[in-house]
Amino acid sequence: MKRTIPLIIVFGCGIFMLISFFIPLRWVQDTSQLLQTWYLGVIAFFVFIGIANIVRVNVNKIQRKLADWQYSIILLVFLFVMIGAGIFGGPEGGLFNYLFHNFQIPLSATMFSLLAFFVASAAFRAFRARNPEATLLLIAAVLVMVGRVPVGYWIWHGFPDLVEWLMQVPNTAAKRGIILGIDLGLISMALRVLLGIERSYMGGKD
Amino acid sequence: MLLILILMAQGINVEAFDTPNDDGSSITIRWIPDTQYEFFQILRSLDPDEGFEPLAQLPGDYAEFIDRGLQSGQQYYYLVKAVQKEQETSSEIIGPVLPKAQIFDAGRANILVTIIILFAAILFYIAIARRGEKLYIRKIPALTAMEEAIGRATEMGKPVLYVPGIMDIDDPQTIASMSILSKVAEKTAEYGTPLYVPTSKAMAMTMAQQVVKEAAMKVGRPDWFNADNIRYLTDDQFGYVSAVDGIMMREKPATNFYLGTFYAESLILAETGHATGAIQVAGTAMPDQLPFFVAACDFTLLGEELYAASAYLSQEPVQLGSLKGQDLGKLLIILIIIIGVASRVFGLPFLYNLLNVQQ
Amino acid sequence: MKLLERLAKIDRRIIFLLVGLAAIIPLLIPIGLPVDITKPVQNVYDTIESLPEGSIVVVSVDYDPGSEAELYPATLAFIEHCFRRNLRVYMMGLWPAGIALGNDALAEIAPKYNKEYGVDYINIGYKPGGPVMLLTLGRSVADIVNADYAGTPIDSFPLGRAVKTARDMSVVMTFSAGDPGILHWIIYFNARFGNVICGSTTAISAPRQYQYLASGQLIGLLGGLKGAAEYETLVDRKDRAIAGMDSQSIVHVLLVIFIIIGNIILLSERRKK
Repeated sequence: MKRTIPLIIVFGCGIFMLISFFIPLRWVQDTSQLLQTWYLGVIAFFVFIGIANIVRVNVNKIQRKLADWQYSIILLVFLFVMIGAGIFGGPEGGLFNYLFHNFQIPLSATMFSLLAFFVASAAFRAFRARNPEATLLLIAAVLVMVGRVPVGYWIWHGFPDLVEWLMQVPNTAAKRGIILGIDLGLISMALRVLLGIERSYMGGKD
Repeated sequence: MLLILILMAQGINVEAFDTPNDDGSSITIRWIPDTQYEFFQILRSLDPDEGFEPLAQLPGDYAEFIDRGLQSGQQYYYLVKAVQKEQETSSEIIGPVLPKAQIFDAGRANILVTIIILFAAILFYIAIARRGEKLYIRKIPALTAMEEAIGRATEMGKPVLYVPGIMDIDDPQTIASMSILSKVAEKTAEYGTPLYVPTSKAMAMTMAQQVVKEAAMKVGRPDWFNADNIRYLTDDQFGYVSAVDGIMMREKPATNFYLGTFYAESLILAETGHATGAIQVAGTAMPDQLPFFVAACDFTLLGEELYAASAYLSQEPVQLGSLKGQDLGKLLIILIIIIGVASRVFGLPFLYNLLNVQQ
Repeated sequence: MKLLERLAKIDRRIIFLLVGLAAIIPLLIPIGLPVDITKPVQNVYDTIESLPEGSIVVVSVDYDPGSEAELYPATLAFIEHCFRRNLRVYMMGLWPAGIALGNDALAEIAPKYNKEYGVDYINIGYKPGGPVMLLTLGRSVADIVNADYAGTPIDSFPLGRAVKTARDMSVVMTFSAGDPGILHWIIYFNARFGNVICGSTTAISAPRQYQYLASGQLIGLLGGLKGAAEYETLVDRKDRAIAGMDSQSIVHVLLVIFIIIGNIILLSERRKK
C-alpha cells in the first residue's frame, strides 16, 4: 500500500497531464492548471522545510562544537537578518536592498568569475590531441576562442565569419542531434515512471 | 461544427466562425485588412436587430479579432465597421455564430501520432524483454566505473559526494538522478562508506533522504543512514556551488558524482573536485555543460545516457527493453528528418506541413 | 626537457595568476582592439532602428546577479538605444532577482534622456508562472498586470494603459541567463502572437540559440560580453563591455598558449615512450 498509492497518483496525474495537452475543454485545462498551482503551493511550503533543515543542522553543529562551528553562527545571523529585512522592510526596503546590492550581487558575480580561471586550468590539462576526436575538438575550440574576440578580427577580418559558420552549421547540427537523443531518452524514462516500471526514485525495493 | 458565414457588403469581406481547437469560449472574426481605413470597429450582440456593443477597435492593417470569454452554445451576432476620418462603412450583420468546444485539438494530431508510435516502440520491446529474449545494450563506461569509484572511496576511508543537480524534483533529470542515487546509496551503505548529498532544493532534499534511507534498509544497514549528510544548502545557484566546494575542500571525498541538471556551476564543481584528487563521474542532459564535464571529469554520461542509467544499472529486462524502444524511436526521427529535408529540397510542401505544429 | 617537465607539473595557482594578470592589465592599460559587428547583433540594432518613435519595446530582465557581468552592460546599451530613438520601454522579468538590476539600469539611463516614469518607461516587476503567464499576458495584459513593481495601480500610468495585448508590443527583447528565458518567449509569444523576439544571453548559452536564429524565430542575438561590446559600439556607448574586450582577447590568447604548451608536453611525453 505504501508504494501502491504513490504509483497510482503518479500514473493518474501523469496520464491526465499528458492527455490535457490534446483536449482543449475548459474543465480539463482548469484542472491541469489547478494541479500545477498545487505544485507551486507545495514548493512554497517546502521553503520552510529547507530553512528548518538549515537551522537544525547548524544549531546542532554549534551545540556540539563541530569543526568550523563559528561559520554556522555567521550563517544563521545572516539568514535571519535577511529574512527580517525582507519581511519588515519589503523587497524594496533599505536594508534588504543594501544587502542584496552589496553582498548578494558581488558574491554571485565573484563565484561566476571563477569560471575564467577554471577554464584556463581545464584547458591546459584536458585539451590535448590524444586521438582524432580530441584533435578535432581542440582545433574547433582554438578557432572559436580566437575568432569570437576582437583579436581574431585583428588577425584576419574573415575570422569572425568563419566562426559564425562553425556556430551556425556544425555546432547547431550537433546540438540538435544531442537534444533529439535527450528528448527521446526523456520520453522513455517518463513512460517507465508513468507505468511504474521505474520506481527507484521512490527508494526501497524495485 | 464550424459555422462560417461570408458576406460581401460595401467592400468589407467579413467571416465569423467558431474558433477551432478551443474550449468553446471564442469566436474568430476575419476581414480583409485595408490601410485606407483608420481603424476597424468590431461590435457584438445577442440579438440580430439591436444591442450591438463595441468590443474592439483595431488599426486598418489588422485582419483578425478573437472574441473570448463567450458562452458555449450561445448565439452571437457581429458587425464590423470600417472608419476613415468622418466616414463609416458597415458590414452586414453576421450571425448567428455559435462557439462550440472541441474535444480534441486537431492541430496537435501529428504530435499525438508521434507519441503513440514512440510509446508503441517502447512497449513492443518491453514485451519482447518480458518474453525472456536477451537484448543487447552497449556498455556505458561511466556506469561500469561507478562501483569501482565507490570501492576506491571505501579503500581510502574517504566519503562519497553525490550532487543531484540544482533543479527541483519537477525536472526529469533530477528524477533520473534520484534513481541513480538509490543504486549508489545501496553500494555505499553496503560498504559502510559515508555518503554526502547536498541539495539545492528542499523538496529534492526530502526525496534524497527518503531514497538513501530506503537504500540503507534494503541492504540491511539502517544504522549507516545519517540524515545530516543529506541536507539543503541554498536555492541560490552560486551560493550552492560555493557551499559544495567548501564540502569538497573540507571533507576531501574520494569520489564525486555530479548527476542532474547543471548550469554555469558545472566547471566550478568539476575543477574543485579535481583539485582535491577525487575520481569524478558526471552526467547531465544540458548540452551546454557537457563539454565542461567531458573535459574535467573522468567519466561522463552524455545526455540520454543519464536517463538510461537507472535501467542500465538495474539490468532488469523490462527496463532494458525500454532503451531498445527508444532507439527505434531514434530511427524513426532520422527517417522523418530525411523525408523533411527531401520535401524542402524537392518542393513538396505537403510533407513539410504535415510536421507543422499549431499552437 | 626539464622545462617541459616543470611545466607539466605546474601549480594551477600560477595559471590562475597569469589569467588574473591577463584580465587586469588590459583594463588598466587599454589596447583598443577594434570590435567587429556580427550579423545577429546587427539584426537587433536594425530592428530597433526600424521602429517608429513611440513604439513600445518590452525589455524582459531574465537573469540574476550571477550573470550581471555579461548581461547588465547589454541591458544598459539596449535601453540607451531605445531612449535615444524615443521608444517606450516596458520592463518586466521572469526571474525575481532581475527586477532590481533592471531598475538600476533604468535609473542610470532615464535621467540622461529626461525620460519620465510611467510615460516613457515603466517596470511591471517579476511575473511568475512561465508559459501560462506569457500566454495570458499576450491575450490580455490586464489579467496579469494590475500594478507596477512598486505596487502602484498600472492604470494610473499612460504607458500602463497603452499596453493591452501582445499586439501593442512592437518588439520583445529578453536578457536571458537560462530558463525561463529566450525559449519561453519564442514558444509562447512569437509562435502564438507573432511578436518579434530579440535576445541577449550569456556566452555559454549563445550556441544553443543559433537554431532559433536559423529558423527566424529569433531575429537577433547578443551573445555574451562580446555581443554587448558590439552593441555598445553600434550605439556609440563606450562602457564596461568594450572595456572588457581587450581583457577577454588577451585571456583567450593566453588560453590558446596554454593549450599549445599542453600539446607540446603531450608530444614530448609520447616521444620519450
